[in-house]
Order: sequence, then structure tokens, then C-alpha cells
Amino acid sequence: MKKRLYLELENCIGCRSCLAACTQCGGHEERNRNYVYDVNPLVNRQTMPLMCLHCVNPACARSCPAQAIQIHETGAVLSALVEKCIGCQNCTIACPYGIPKFDTEQNLMYKCDLCIDRTKDGIPPMCASVCPSNTLQWLTDEEIEAKQKQFNLDNGKWVTSMPYLEGETNVRVNLPGILQGVTKLF
Amino acid sequence: MQRDKFFKEIENLRHPNETLVKTHCSYCGMQCGMNLRVNTETNKIIGVEPRYDWPVTVGKMCPKGVTAYQQTNHDDRILKPLIRDDASLKGTKEGFREATWDEAYDLIVKNFQQLQRDYGKDSLSVYSGVSMTNEKCYLTGKFARVGLQTRYIDYNGRFCMASAAGGFMRSFGVDRGSTLPWTDLHETDCLFIAGSNTAECHPTSMFRVWAVQERGGYLIVADPRETPIARRADVHLDLRPGTDLALANGILNLLIQNGYADEEFVNNHTNGFEETKELVKEFTPEYTSELTGVAPEKIIRAAEIYGKAPNAIVMFARGIEQQVKGVDNVSGYTNMALVTGKIGRPKAGVATFTGQGNGQGGREHGQKADALPGYRKINNPEHVKAVAKVWGIEPEEMPKEGVSAYEMFGLMEQKVIRGLYLLCSNPAVSAPNLNYVREQLKNLDFMVCSDFYLSESAEFADVILPTTTWSEDEGTVTNLEGRCIKINKAQDPLGESKPDWQIHVELCERLGRGKYFSHLKTAKDVGDEFRLASKGGYADYYGITWDKIEKQDGVFWPCKDENDPGTPHMFLDKKFYHPDGKAKICALPYRPPAEEPDEEYPLRLTTGRVVYHYLSGNQTRRINFLRDMCPEPYVEVHPETAEQYNIKHEEFVRLYTRRGEAEYKVKITEAIRKDTVFVPYHFGHDKSINLLTIGALDPMSRMPEFKACAAQIEKLELKKVQ
Ligand code: SF4
Ligand code: SF4
Ligand code: SF4
Ligand code: SF4
Repeated sequence: MKKRLYLELENCIGCRSCLAACTQCGGHEERNRNYVYDVNPLVNRQTMPLMCLHCVNPACARSCPAQAIQIHETGAVLSALVEKCIGCQNCTIACPYGIPKFDTEQNLMYKCDLCIDRTKDGIPPMCASVCPSNTLQWLTDEEIEAKQKQFNLDNGKWVTSMPYLEGETNVRVNLPGILQGVTKLF
Repeated sequence: MQRDKFFKEIENLRHPNETLVKTHCSYCGMQCGMNLRVNTETNKIIGVEPRYDWPVTVGKMCPKGVTAYQQTNHDDRILKPLIRDDASLKGTKEGFREATWDEAYDLIVKNFQQLQRDYGKDSLSVYSGVSMTNEKCYLTGKFARVGLQTRYIDYNGRFCMASAAGGFMRSFGVDRGSTLPWTDLHETDCLFIAGSNTAECHPTSMFRVWAVQERGGYLIVADPRETPIARRADVHLDLRPGTDLALANGILNLLIQNGYADEEFVNNHTNGFEETKELVKEFTPEYTSELTGVAPEKIIRAAEIYGKAPNAIVMFARGIEQQVKGVDNVSGYTNMALVTGKIGRPKAGVATFTGQGNGQGGREHGQKADALPGYRKINNPEHVKAVAKVWGIEPEEMPKEGVSAYEMFGLMEQKVIRGLYLLCSNPAVSAPNLNYVREQLKNLDFMVCSDFYLSESAEFADVILPTTTWSEDEGTVTNLEGRCIKINKAQDPLGESKPDWQIHVELCERLGRGKYFSHLKTAKDVGDEFRLASKGGYADYYGITWDKIEKQDGVFWPCKDENDPGTPHMFLDKKFYHPDGKAKICALPYRPPAEEPDEEYPLRLTTGRVVYHYLSGNQTRRINFLRDMCPEPYVEVHPETAEQYNIKHEEFVRLYTRRGEAEYKVKITEAIRKDTVFVPYHFGHDKSINLLTIGALDPMSRMPEFKACAAQIEKLELKKVQ
């Protein structure tokens, strides 16, 4: 059954285990490809991860003059192919979320490949496997639909879908405020 | 067993030329399951793979766990015994030379025997820790009492779990850190969490904590700081450091006044209710607010939620325990569960977040000054008899009770203790009042340190023995639930390093005590003797075989025999462990912290952890990822307080108390009380916040008050260029 990366931003505790886990993926050479931000560090401890959303029609790949960014059959938008990437850095500017990173020494872009060595066989990505707060989860579409019903937000904005930023994404995001729709037990 | 809604059948990723060794994290009491990836050609650990099949943590790990494997083949490993001939270099990294095990052992034996000849058996001491297996913890106790024949043994649990242990013993008559399995947490209706920065110190509990709120349940957090868990709490009780007992009494008073006491339960299963009811009357919301600084409405709301909740779990950690009234705080919060009868059934109970990996097991089996295996007491003649029999000594040969960890430094000052064998601990960072402690380490006649890295404490040693990391040996550990689990060996010891149990056996043989130790040839041999030694004690592990652990995903103690599956839930029969079978509701008069702020030192200093580091940081500060994330300590200051002192974000200040001082970078945050500053304690040398903390001890647990003392800040105009 196809699963997707699903994010519940409000859960994030800022532990950066997702970053540590990303350094451990096959072929990642100990460099993480994801980000965690302190939302308002002088005020509180809210944090949030920033992950590649694996756009259905990715700006990064569209902007690439060398076709170095391949899209896997699972929908994962892969890291730049070493033999094709010319180091122009178009993609780092094109991506509305600022995801692709650039290695100036190797003159090479690198980005989240959705742990393709794992997810191609249905194994959850490293970051979603370890995330202690369930900010990052690896779920079926049915499970995601159930989540959507459960957290019926009053502002209706619960996924980054059209018309926000870069159009439809393979990753689903639940914006802060997931507890708004929850009825208390007593 | 206990597979819940979070458990999913997931295959692991397997690389060619690799095997996966199932084990658990080396660090905290969560003991997250993990697979170590081992290259089958080099037989070396090369990475980590989540352990989705571990029911408590289902693959989850914090960043310490993810990178834990990097400890084993780290460049900083000590590979051979080290000897330092020039004692004037003590307190530095300098002067060590490599030696053979024979030479190191000979030197230790010569000095230990000399000291004991000149000053008596008790001139030697053992200072241990609980970040190691039950087998090692058990044998360390025997090593001190039978091998070295000294009364002075104690351990770093005095800075960790001793107050929880004391409080549970008094309230329940037994000290199992959690009355229920962690797989109950997300199903309760209310979590009341006091003095636990859970998101940073036990991160893999968090998916269960958030799940309570997702179901519509409540989260109440008591903490001077708005920690990541407090940020999302339904009620955040933002109390002054060191005032927990007032808060606990205040809430208990409201629970009783508002009719939430369970009379049937109180009458049949507890003692002490009436007396306690009288005592807490005084703690009205207004008076409680005056003492704690928490708004009365919040106290009222918290009591209402806890009182109404069909099921609730009271949880706490070092925040309430590392105080001069730590034991009282534990019993005080435990009172809430006993008065309302929310205990002794699934989804309701009391738990402490055990700090160290084996903080539970390590305190049960005789490394504590007053304890023998199976949670027996060394001043109980029956208990002594039982253990002496297993050890093959006469009861009269059992040394008497010693003193607590911090008090050992006092005896070093008085030259009562002259020799030290230190293992699995780094008191030169983790003890309070460090200027004093470091002085005592320096003045020892002879000190041995067993470690796998050159810790700040090892810098005081004459001999350093290279021991193994957790991944190079096997054995059992008891996690924060009270579940005994198996640590598996993933690679052979690096260099000439040896596991501590083997070092103890070999050393005892050379000390002429071989007949009590030579039969222990494997970790399993030690484990079997340890099970036997615990048999019949409160913490009975006799029925916990390695096979059963494998089959059942761990075994909860007590577990008395082969057919006993163990005890995931405590007190289901409403029987407590006091002789009359009743629990004790404790009447606890409030007392303030040992050192209150005054004109000279107007701020409250509290200390704690960050998610990236473990305890003294001896391990985690060496791991690139963790060090990069938090390379140095800092002091958290509220913006209004910072303004008073005219200090800005990231400027440097001198923070000082009556005991010491240190310089820190300022981190401005509204997520702390205005009267309180916070510094993480994982750092060594002149960066240690414990240079400033106070050595005041809880009268029962002998736990120092790390969590509250009086301090002052001074802005540093010019930061010296490093
Ligand atoms: S692992 Fe999860 S909780 Fe931790 S920082 Fe990443 S997203 Fe946030
Ligand atoms: S989020 Fe950015 S990097 Fe990821 S697929 Fe979309 S455009 Fe590309
Ligand atoms: S999916 Fe894999 S590659 Fe992408 S951020 Fe997560 S761990 Fe890194
Ligand atoms: S440090 Fe604790 S929470 Fe983190 S991975 Fe290890 S056992 Fe789990």
C-alpha cells in the first residue's frame, strides 16, 4: 500500500532527531537534507521541521537546465545526479521552500530523496521512523484521510495544497493548530 | 506483548554484508530499541537502524540514540591501560603513559593493599554509576564489599533517582519507578507531569503524551520554564524552583475540599489520610500561590482536571527530586493518586522518568551505601544473611553501611577515604559544588578510573583502565517502566578494553579474593548469580531469564520464578508493600529551598539538560552531530530580567553564587520565570554550572539540591577573544 510522508507541525519538540537520522541514510555522507527552525526563539520553544514536500510538478526539477533532478516512480523528487548536475544552483532558488542544498566543494546540489533506498521498498524514511513526537509520520492515504476528519480545522487550511505556493505535493502537512478541532473528554 | 496502536509490522532495511544486532540505546531510562548495523567483514559497528519491533518506542529515537553507535569506534577511545607516574599533574590530561594490564593491575594492588594496611579496609572507596547493565551494577557491589572489603561504596544515582526511590519506599513500601507500563500512557485521560522536561530528556515518550491530548485528554505540566512539553500543556503551573511541595499540598487540599477523595480506597488501602488532610488545609490556592508564584486560578484548574479525570497518571522527574525535600516532593505528588484512588489499575498510577539507562536496576542491586541485591538493606541482619550465603562469606564479614556519594567527598577531605575506584561516572562534572569536589579528588592518595574516554574525572586518576562501551558486552538493563530488557553484544571490545565485570574479577583474583569471583567467566555467569542474589528480595529478578526477556519483549519485576510472567502493572490487587498492605498518604510540612535569594544573590539558579547531551556529556560532547547542535552551555534569562542587568541576547555574563562562578553566553527567552535563570549542566572544566550549585542534601535520599540556589549575574563588558 502506498504511503506518504505526513507532517503534524504542532507536535514538533525541536529535538532535531530528524536531522540526525537524515545523516544516517544510505549515500547521505553524514549530511542531513532537512531543516528544523525555531519559530520565535526569543519568545518560546516552538519549532518546526521544513522538509521537501516532493511536489507533483516540482519547481526544482523544472528549473534544472541539465535534467539532473529525476522524479522516481513513487513520486519522490530525487537528489541531483552527480554526472548531470552542472552546479548552476537554479533549483536552490526555484524551490519555494528553499530545500535543495549546495555543496560548493563538489559543485553539486543535494536534497532529500525521501530515503529512496527505503521508501522504494515500503520502508519508512529515517526521519519519520525516529521522530519522537510523531511530527513526521509515514501513513497510507486512508490514515491521512482519517486524520483530516479528526482534525477538522475551522480555517480549512490543513494541507499545503492548491493554491498555496507550489501546487500539489506528495507530502501532506497539517499546519499548527491540530488540537483546535478536538473535543475534550470531560 | 503490549502491542498497541502505535505498533506496526515493518521490515528493516538490510544492506549486503551487514547484520543487524537488536539492542537498546546506551543512554537514558527510555532504553529505546535499536538495531546496530554490523559489517560482517570487519565485524565493526557501522550504523543504526530503527527497531520497529520494540513495543515501547516502535523505532523512535532522539538524536542521542540515532548517533549512539558512534561512541564505539570513536577516535577518543582509550585502548590500553594508562598510568600516570607524576601525581603533580593530577587534574590535567597530561602525563599518562600506556601500560600493560599486568602493570596496571600490579600498581593498583600494591597501592590498595598499602592503603588498607596503613589505614584500614575502609580507606578505599568505590564510586559507581548506573549507565551499565544489572550484571555490572551487581558485581560492583560485590567487588566493593567482598573484593575490597570496604564499606564505602555509593553511586551516581544519588544525583539521579535517590529521591524517587525514597519517596516510593515511603508511600508504597516498594520502589518501582513506574506503577504501569509506558504503553498505558496515551490511553489515560490526564497526565500530570511535574519537573520533567520530557521533550528533551525522554523525547520518545512524547508521541504518547501528545496522543492523550489528541484524544481530548488533558496535559498539566509543573515547571519553572515553558519547556517544549509545557508549551502545549492545558495548564502550565509555572512555579518557582524549589517550591513543589507547596504546590502538591495545595492541589491535594483542593482535591479533598472539592470531594475528589476516594473514601473507599482511602479507608481500605491507605494510612495517614486524616493527618494529611489537616496539614494541607492551610494550603489554600492563595497561600499556595504566595509560596509558588503560580496564579491561584491555574492551581484550581489543575486540581479540577486531575480530580475529574476518570484515569490519570502523575509523573515527575529530577525537577522535583533534586531538592533538599526531593523525597517529600515525590510523596507529596504521589499523595494525589493515593487520595483519589487513581492507582492500582491500568491507565492510572504514578511514575518517575528514570534518568539513566539502568537507573532503576542499578539502584536495586547493591551499589548504594545501604543496599544489597534485590533491594535488600545492609543494616537488616536477615537481608545480610541471605546475600552473604550467595556470596560465600560469613554474615559478620559483610561491611557496614557507608555514606552517600556526595558525603564520600567529605570523608576524602577528612582523609578517612584515601583511595578511590571510580567507574561509570564523571563526578568532576556531575557533582554539585565542584570547586570542593575537584579539590578532594586531587588530594586522594590513589585513584583508579575505569572509562572508555578520558573524562574530566579521569584527569584526576593515577591509573585509567579502558573499559568497553555498552555495545561490546551483553547483559540486562531495567528501563524506566521496571521492565528488564537485554542489551546485546554487537562487536568485540576495541583495543585492549574489557567489560567492567571482567576487570573486577581479574582484580579480585590479584587481591587474593579470587575464590569469590573466579567462577564468573561470562556476563551470563554474573547474571545468573545476580538473579540468585536478588531472589526473595523486593526486587526479585530470579524468574527473569534471558530467554524470557527475548520471548516476552522484556520482563517486569517482581518476577519470582520460571513460570511467573512478571508484573507490568503494580498493585492491581490494591496490596501495597508495607507490612499491613496499605499505602501511606504522607503529611508533609512545607520547607523552602536550602538557599533562598537575597539582596546579594537575588536570582534563582536552576539546572537541567538539553536534548543533545546525556549527563556529564563525556560521551555526547564527542559525537559530532550532538556537539555541533549544542557546543557550549548558556544561561537562559527572561527579557525583563535581562533589561534590568542591561544584557542582550548572546552577550556574555559572569554568573556567580557563594560557591563559584562561570562565564556564559546569554540566551534571552520569555519561556522562563523572571526570577529564575537556567544553565544546562553537561559541560566540563570552567564551563561546569556545578561550580555554582549547592551541596545541600535531602536528609533522606542524600540528593543534592541541583535545582535551586541563589545566584547573581554580572555583565561582562569585553568578551576576551578566544
Ligand atoms: S524529529 Fe520530529 S520532533 Fe524532532 S525536530 Fe524533527 S520533526 Fe521535530
Ligand atoms: S519542495 Fe522544493 S525541492 Fe522539494 S520537490 Fe518541491 S520544489 Fe523541489
Ligand atoms: S526522507 Fe530521508 S532524505 Fe528526506 S529528509 Fe527524511 S531522512 Fe532525509
Ligand atoms: S537517549 Fe533516551 S530517548 Fe534518546 S534514544 Fe536513547 S533511550 Fe531513547
